[in-house]
Amino acid sequence: MDALAEKYLRAEKWPGTACSGCGLRLLHREVLTAIDELGLATDDVVWGTAIGCTGRQTYATWKGDCFAGTHGRVYALATGLRLALPPEKRILLTVGDGDAFTIGLPHVLAAARRNVDVTVVVGDNLGYQSTGGQYGVTTPGGSRTDSSPYGVWEPGWAEEGLDVLAVVREAGAAFLARHTVLERRETIDSVKTALSTRGFTLVHVVYGCHVHYGAQALGSADLGVIQAWIREQTGARYRTGVFHDARGARPEFTERLRRQVADVRRRTAERVRDGR
Amino acid sequence: MRRVFDTGNAAITEAAILAGCRVFAGYPITPATEIAENMSRRLPQVGGFYLQAEDECAALHVCNGASLGGLKAMTATSGPGFILFADPFGWAVSAEIPVVIVNAQRVGPVSGITGAPGQGELYLSRYLTHGGNYETIVLAPSSAQEAFRLTVKAFALAERFRTPVTLLADQMVTDSSEALTLPETDVELRAMGLEIVPRRVNPGPEFYPSTDELDVPPVVLGRGTGAACSDWTPTDRGLDTEAVEWQHRHAHRLIHKIRSHREALLEHEAWHLDDDPEVILVSYGTPSRVVKSAVAAARAEGLRVGGLRLVSLWPFPDALFARKARYLAVELNWDGQLVREVQRAQAEGSTAHFLGRCGELPKVGELVEAARALSRGERLRRRGWDVEAY
Repeated sequence: MDALAEKYLRAEKWPGTACSGCGLRLLHREVLTAIDELGLATDDVVWGTAIGCTGRQTYATWKGDCFAGTHGRVYALATGLRLALPPEKRILLTVGDGDAFTIGLPHVLAAARRNVDVTVVVGDNLGYQSTGGQYGVTTPGGSRTDSSPYGVWEPGWAEEGLDVLAVVREAGAAFLARHTVLERRETIDSVKTALSTRGFTLVHVVYGCHVHYGAQALGSADLGVIQAWIREQTGARYRTGVFHDARGARPEFTERLRRQVADVRRRTAERVRDGR
Repeated sequence: MRRVFDTGNAAITEAAILAGCRVFAGYPITPATEIAENMSRRLPQVGGFYLQAEDECAALHVCNGASLGGLKAMTATSGPGFILFADPFGWAVSAEIPVVIVNAQRVGPVSGITGAPGQGELYLSRYLTHGGNYETIVLAPSSAQEAFRLTVKAFALAERFRTPVTLLADQMVTDSSEALTLPETDVELRAMGLEIVPRRVNPGPEFYPSTDELDVPPVVLGRGTGAACSDWTPTDRGLDTEAVEWQHRHAHRLIHKIRSHREALLEHEAWHLDDDPEVILVSYGTPSRVVKSAVAAARAEGLRVGGLRLVSLWPFPDALFARKARYLAVELNWDGQLVREVQRAQAEGSTAHFLGRCGELPKVGELVEAARALSRGERLRRRGWDVEAY
């Protein structure tokens, strides 16, 4: 166990459940590096996850407080948690592409609309991989997977000009970025910005599953094959970098709510005092 | 004490506020909408938060999250929203989150009739989520005043048992206006036999102890305890595991923390059960009020009739059915739900019978007529759609 892991992670949970060589572990380290560079302590961050590869890899690895929500609903859970926690506690959610962009998208949009202060890091392995490799909404069109033996035929969120981040942007997010996992410095910097922002922030990080997607769609489970593919797609299929920066443009959800509650309490007290 | 004339929905709201509820997340639905409306007005006055969720599934998730952060929370709905709780209800059961759920039952299935009372969710309230391996607490008020009392009780039980508690009301309880006596101080509250259990914080490291003990403090995040809380089978420290041994321990806790301490929650009302009844009318919720009159009318005729009103529905009070009798379940559905439990629990040699209605209450006269028939040992006159077995 290296210094970073020793500082932040529970020894019995590291290196986690991801397959050997998986980009998810690299992403996990990038997130920890961001936390470390921000100088945050374990008590400063409450770390939540959902299910799938990302949930299994990251759940309860954090030495501080941890939770895992139901698939796709962790954004609603985090909204409730945000109401209860002091504003200075960061809420970090590490989730998968299925969780954020398919089953959980309505809840992501609701959290973005309210501008709930949470940071979502989406680890994108290009489909449903913990169940053995079925296509999802980020699987490239035409790809062969276990549930698309003739190629993915329905348009995903990165096909035909669609971009799920544009949807989340229009829903009101404060900060959005996209990187591939090999863009280490950029990923770390975006996670740092996201964690330092009061409001809804999301960093989409594509790593791809070499075991399933590599074998099924790219012809080889060799780590080098998916890495070459990721490099080739960076800047092409994936326009990476900061996607949207509206930090401070809208009030944060609980900040707004607390202000309103304080206002009602003041007026109620005045009414009671004046006998109205 | 404050005397008001108001609805069950208002009573539930005031009870929740007094019990310390500071977060309500919901989605408008008849006949529970008024609870949301009242909460949106009352919660900010006491420093609480009202939130209108994107759907009922999200609503209960928000409540779960708030409770996990240390605030008491409640949601309220009716059948079509109740079914959407399956996901967060299961999460709260397994992660042992105190939260209160109100279901104002209307006529189903699905949207059915919105503004009329039904009782179609007796079993759904017991098995609201998948996977089994748990016991749950369900309370059923039959008046606005009782809705007040049981809401306060539900919050206390949720804290003590670390679990969601469901208030299974019906449209008549929530929508009807009645005279209410509401306590204004803790002293008055205690004088009504009620208690408020403040939120405690589990210090760890045993966040999920393998015990059936009551009063284990709930898991709260953000307090530097290093708590871990998830929907996976937990070890005692809350870490996820696939080990069957831990699953056995977890299931044992979820089931027996409630079964071993059922005396803390069991509640019923009996009419003439000690007067050697041959026929016992069984009910819960609003129909009980008609049943009570029917029992009195039947006794006035000299019939050996008694009545049993269930206040706590789950865990099912099997021991109440130890007497050999002809049981008549009176419920607001046509398929017969309560009667199935009665039939399962009844003493040997007993028989179970069913009188259903839906969207409207049964009449005293027809209940007395049924009691007469059962007293004579006759079967109830069958209608075309009656369940053969009953």
